[in-house]
Amino acid sequence: MKTQNRRDFLAKAAAALAVTGSPLPGAALSLDRSPASQDEQFPPKRSLADEIKKYRKIDAHAHVYFTKGNFEQVIDIADRLNIGKLVISRPMVPGGKGEPSEFIECNNLVLKAMKQFPDRFFGQLTLNPQYPKESMEEIERCIGEGMIGVKLYNHVKINDPLFYPVIEKFIGLKMMILMHMGIGIARIQYDAREPKGVSIPEDMVEAALRYPEAKFQLAHIGGGIDWEAACKAVIGVPNIFVDVSGSNNAANMIDFAVKCVGIDRLFFGCDSSYYQGVGHVLAAGITDAEREKLYFGNYNKYLKSIGRHVD
Amino acid sequence: MLIDVNSYIGHWPFRRLKGNTCKEQIARMNAAGIDKAVLFNLNGIFYKNVQSANDELFEALNENSEYRKRFIPFATINPIYSGWKHDFEESVKKQGAKGIRLYPLYHGYELSNPACIELAKMARDHNLPVAMALRMVDSRPSSWLDVSKEWALKDTLPLIKAVPDAKYLILNLANNSNFGAFNKDELTMVRQTKLLMDTSGRMVMELSDMMKNYGSDKFAFGSHYPILDPVTGLLRIEAMRPEEATKAEKEKLYYENAKNFLGL
Repeated sequence: MKTQNRRDFLAKAAAALAVTGSPLPGAALSLDRSPASQDEQFPPKRSLADEIKKYRKIDAHAHVYFTKGNFEQVIDIADRLNIGKLVISRPMVPGGKGEPSEFIECNNLVLKAMKQFPDRFFGQLTLNPQYPKESMEEIERCIGEGMIGVKLYNHVKINDPLFYPVIEKFIGLKMMILMHMGIGIARIQYDAREPKGVSIPEDMVEAALRYPEAKFQLAHIGGGIDWEAACKAVIGVPNIFVDVSGSNNAANMIDFAVKCVGIDRLFFGCDSSYYQGVGHVLAAGITDAEREKLYFGNYNKYLKSIGRHVD
Repeated sequence: MLIDVNSYIGHWPFRRLKGNTCKEQIARMNAAGIDKAVLFNLNGIFYKNVQSANDELFEALNENSEYRKRFIPFATINPIYSGWKHDFEESVKKQGAKGIRLYPLYHGYELSNPACIELAKMARDHNLPVAMALRMVDSRPSSWLDVSKEWALKDTLPLIKAVPDAKYLILNLANNSNFGAFNKDELTMVRQTKLLMDTSGRMVMELSDMMKNYGSDKFAFGSHYPILDPVTGLLRIEAMRPEEATKAEKEKLYYENAKNFLGL
């Protein structure tokens, strides 16, 4: 069995850093030592518990559900991973018509959650631009109740003219437009549940170029979309922010996203996959300062722009 | 001590991997405090003659004496390809494989295939674990050339039922792995089988509940690195509260279960 004391380990780690010129996965993390047996010594085990505490976090892509006790469950796992704030929405059921009664019900759930946990949840409304009058009324109602943006789903593409009044409204509010992205196999064969109206990154690029004053959030590059294609699509489009949420914690996803769009346009998020969301940011080959921006600073900067930032 | 029961060298043809060499794996292990890692060669998925991948794996391990100490190599065997019994002999008896890895979805056979069952019996007779993953990658964003089918935990049952006294390493619990998917007899069988599941998969969400239902000896830390990030599989263990897993139970997940299962 390999024997290695802490000094040896640190020396080797430093040498590795000198060779690679970039952080090893997790090399920026603090370390502690797990007990060794009497006849063996092991490399010091990484203290993820310390790392969880080290970084404040704003989950820029979170959800609540209609199931009983769900709000408390979300808060419980957020507490476990030191996620102080969560930007929640309740998208409509996939495959539904997206009628006003559906999105109003979803938004009411979010408002209820915001009221129950006002220090933890920021709310985003949802709507369907196929119902323009009701959608605009819902914006007024929900923003009036304290929501901070909109989460859109797959009824209509983000670059469809039906969305223009909605985008223009959110330009006026200076608020974020978060859009679901189509799940599919390498952008050739989409997931069976995705309707024709689902947006792809190129649709968002078109909308973002048409409305450079708007702020768009490209949803969940870990959510089953082709994350390499998505990141490449938004290179050089400064008003598109990319959230790294989703259940797919493919290695090097964040490193690739940083390379494509830069650290300042990335938002941390989980999309209900909390371990992957927190884990792959800890694993990313970025500096402590960049990790702080990703977990917290970048979204807080947006919140500051609308006067809702976290101190 | 920490043992990772799920790591790889080799290439993935549909996207560039980093960290996929023994040298890079050792650097990753040192940074995370991982003492040993079960190591597979991804090329065994794609080479028709999988023994070439096994040869690569052991050539890589022989480059540095530390590699042999830190890695626990598993050989890939394709039981429907010519010479697989020879591959078993070569990789196990001559090269020193500590387990067998199967890729039925990629190699194109069912677990009920008689040759697969015969292979599992051979592994059992040599006290070697048989490793399988419910999926290698998330099929949704993968290439149009990749397989699209993924497994649920229940899909491993045909082999477990056929050879219940073998040892099974089940990796990347990415789809339904809930005990509720099994009937009473199946659940009893799973509990009684020498079966170890790693913590890398997306469905490992309530690990403490899974430990209660399957048994605390049924789980071990695994990363699935460098396909998945190297942290999340460990985070699922670390994030359990004291009332959900005692320090002793966490030690089982960190290394004791793997050590016992692998016979280290």
